[in-house]
Amino acid sequence: MFAKLKKKIAEEAATAPRSGVRIPRTISKESITSVGADSGDDFASDGSSSRDDLPAQLLRRNDQIRKLEAKLSDYAEQLRIMQKTKDKLEIALEKHQDLSIKKLQDQNESHQVSRAKLAEGMALALEKKDQEWMEKTAAMEKEKAALSARLEEMMEQSLALFQKRDDLDELEGFQQQELAKVKHMLLKKEEQLSQREQELQQKEAEVQSAKRGLSEARGKLRSLQQQHEESSRLNSEFEIEREELLLLREEADKRVSELEGQCRELQSVIQQVSEDFQKSQSMVSTLERSLQELQTEHDALKLQQQKAAVMEEDKERLLADLQKKVASLERRLQGNLSQDEHLQELLQEKSNLEQSLEETRAELLAVRTNHADTVGSLEAQVSKMSCTVTELQTLLRHKDDSSRAYRERTDTQIANLEQQIVERNERLKSAEEQIAEKQQHVDKLAGELSAEKAFFDQQVCLLKQQSEEKARQLEESIASLQTERETLQDRLEDLNKQADEANSNLRQQTEELEHCRAELVSRQTVSTEIAKALEDTRRQKEELQTQVGQLTSSLQTSQQELSTVTETLTMREENIKNLQDEVQRRQESLVQLQEELEQQRAQLEQMEQDKDSQLSSLREELLNQTQQLDSCQARISYLEVEVETLTEQLNTPVVCEEDQNGSVTVDDLDHLQRVNKELEQQLSDKNRTIKQLQQRLAELKRTLQKELKLKPEPEAEGKEKLPESKAEKQERLFPDPPPASSPSPPTSNTTVTNTSDLNDSREINFEYLKHVVLKFMSSREAEAFQLIRAVSVLLNFTREEEDMLKQTLEYKMSWFGSKPSPKGTIRPSVSGASPHWS
Amino acid sequence: MGGFFSLFSGLFGSREMRILILGLDGAGKTTILYRLQVGEVVTTIPTIGFNVETVTFKNLKFQVWDLGGQTSIRPYWRCYYSNTDAIIYVVDSSDRDRMGISKSELVAMLEEEELKKAILVVFANKQDMDQAMTPTEVATALGLPALKDRKWQIFKISALKGQGLEEAMDWLADSLKNRQ
Repeated sequence: MFAKLKKKIAEEAATAPRSGVRIPRTISKESITSVGADSGDDFASDGSSSRDDLPAQLLRRNDQIRKLEAKLSDYAEQLRIMQKTKDKLEIALEKHQDLSIKKLQDQNESHQVSRAKLAEGMALALEKKDQEWMEKTAAMEKEKAALSARLEEMMEQSLALFQKRDDLDELEGFQQQELAKVKHMLLKKEEQLSQREQELQQKEAEVQSAKRGLSEARGKLRSLQQQHEESSRLNSEFEIEREELLLLREEADKRVSELEGQCRELQSVIQQVSEDFQKSQSMVSTLERSLQELQTEHDALKLQQQKAAVMEEDKERLLADLQKKVASLERRLQGNLSQDEHLQELLQEKSNLEQSLEETRAELLAVRTNHADTVGSLEAQVSKMSCTVTELQTLLRHKDDSSRAYRERTDTQIANLEQQIVERNERLKSAEEQIAEKQQHVDKLAGELSAEKAFFDQQVCLLKQQSEEKARQLEESIASLQTERETLQDRLEDLNKQADEANSNLRQQTEELEHCRAELVSRQTVSTEIAKALEDTRRQKEELQTQVGQLTSSLQTSQQELSTVTETLTMREENIKNLQDEVQRRQESLVQLQEELEQQRAQLEQMEQDKDSQLSSLREELLNQTQQLDSCQARISYLEVEVETLTEQLNTPVVCEEDQNGSVTVDDLDHLQRVNKELEQQLSDKNRTIKQLQQRLAELKRTLQKELKLKPEPEAEGKEKLPESKAEKQERLFPDPPPASSPSPPTSNTTVTNTSDLNDSREINFEYLKHVVLKFMSSREAEAFQLIRAVSVLLNFTREEEDMLKQTLEYKMSWFGSKPSPKGTIRPSVSGASPHWS
Repeated sequence: MGGFFSLFSGLFGSREMRILILGLDGAGKTTILYRLQVGEVVTTIPTIGFNVETVTFKNLKFQVWDLGGQTSIRPYWRCYYSNTDAIIYVVDSSDRDRMGISKSELVAMLEEEELKKAILVVFANKQDMDQAMTPTEVATALGLPALKDRKWQIFKISALKGQGLEEAMDWLADSLKNRQ
């Protein structure tokens, strides 16, 4: 077992530094795909150590140094602890040996003493027990007698119980009978109830029919009321008609009076007309008189004319005489010349006479014309008068006719009116008669209505009363039924109670029975228990005897265990020796590591001095690393604590050993193994932390390399120093490395890594460019617009070119607008950019 | 066609929000992107370049850019900063060693003029790991409490388990809505 452990530890000691070199490669490969050159570099340095990178090594060394420091301190502490534990264990072992021997002897003695004591005690106890048992058996017999007596009692009780049970059966029978009766009664009652309910329903139906009758009567009443309303309406209509008729009568009266007035007027007109007639007649008479006068005048005038004509004839005869005188005188005048004067005078006289004749003639003519005129006018007047008379006569005739016709008409009108009045009066009378009849009818109807109403009211009252009575009866019957029901229910409950009581009685009796049975059973169990107890005591006795045998055997086994403990103790001693050897070995390795560490530290310090200016950005990470280292130290301290606890645990089993005997040593061994496992685990944990630190160192290295890329010159000195130390390390780790490979490659190696790194970065850039351009070409315009900047940065576009790209894209995105003209600046920039990526 | 759609989107006012997912390599940016888009965990390889996806969340359209976080291509981040509405900065909570680098990258990024108005959401990713730092630890390690004139929030997230993403996106969507 210890050999295995040793081997393991030895293996781990051997592999730990190795893995420290190897692991970063894998990690870098897995985790950082972007930095291909780094991984390649690591791989190269690890595989052949021909092409090594100085800063990488330096960093790795640095890391290793830190790790190793930690390890060293850890190991030293472990060693110290181990030594302590070893000393302690030695001391403990000696003590334990002494103590165990002493204990063994003591135990032997005590055991023998105890054995003798036990034997004596056992004998005494046996005797005592025998006596006790005897007493117990006597007591048991007594008890048995008592129990048999009890049994008899129980038998009696059981008999009584059987009797009770019979009684109970009878009771149950009675109860069932009673129950049946009760059920029967219940059924009857239920039937009655149902009958009552039916009756109730019937009565309800009657009530409903009565209600229906009531409603019908109400309907009738309503119809009657409607009739009444109609008749009253008719009445009112008749009254209205009557009033209208009265109005008509008044109107007719009025018209009669009017007509009488008209008649009077007409009579007055007639009188006037007759007066006119008389007047006209008088006028006619006057006119006739005037006519006669005129005719007389005319006759007179005619006489005058005739007188004038006679006169004229006289005058004309006078004239003819005168003319004969004139002619005689002129013949005288002609025969007498001397008579000239006389002649003249005669001539004068003659002219005078002629003149007077002519005058008289004119006078006569005028009288004649005057006369003719007066005659003509008189004649015209007469004719006119005659015309007027004729006219007046015709007028009179007309007037007479008209008056006659008027009179006739008025007479007929009056007669008509009188007839109308008579008719109206007759109609009025008939209407009045009708009204009276109607009123009588209405009165009758009202009387009938009131009678019917009263009748119906009475009927309704009766029906109501009847229904109320019925309802009351029904309610009463319901109440009685309910009371009956309640009573029945009460009875049922009583019966149920009785049944319950009977049941409870039964139950009590059964319980009593069961109780008795249980008692019986318990008695029986008691008796069996007693028998069991007897057997137990016998068994205990046997067990005691076996215990005695076991004790003796355990004594023997303890002795054997003692011997095994001593063996294990020797084993532990060997283990401790092994551990000591291991500790020594570890110390040696620690010393070696410290040496290495110092060397590497020196190198690192140099490096750090060189790169302080460049490492300003990396200081944070370094600080992180130092923190990690602190955490590692904390872990180490934790481990120390654990180791201490281990030692304590180692100590505690020793203490325990003093108290207990054999089993503890086995536990101790297990404990040791566990501790060993824990130590192994811790070791592996440490290895892991070392790996992590190495990873981080690798990262640092990478960043450093980038810095180196920019300024490779200042580290030339540091690089040359590094491979030597690495060579030493390699010699130590691998006993036969190729000696020639170590010094020569580093310079070339560094250059290679630098270029490869550059290539790598370019490769990444190229890949990035490829991706961006691909997306730029494939994505939507909106996204492509955002990518213009990235593309132009990646391809080192000038601002103009970038603007042009933007414009073209805007043109593509917009609906209208002119396509921007390509400028001549594109070509040179493209040709300039192309060699950069080729 | 693109012009057509952009015109329409301009008309309806539903502009796509531009979000960048940044962070160191291996922080889980690509996993988060596809967890947001597809809702599943996809197997990813280290992103050399970027991934861009359109994610619709709460009627908001996000154009999410997941930029590769490897050291060599980190300098190209600044090419994508213009017109960015929000930054999702993803941190591997279990990677205590590189918190310092993460912080310096974040600080350098936040000093950019183009990102002055961007909302910062820090995803403390890989919370399912045993040794993961708590969000407050991450926030202090990144120096977030010292930030001024910046709307920021930190969320504990496990992209593998899909925990915390919903709340974080809720917050982001709300704050983007409020900002408009």
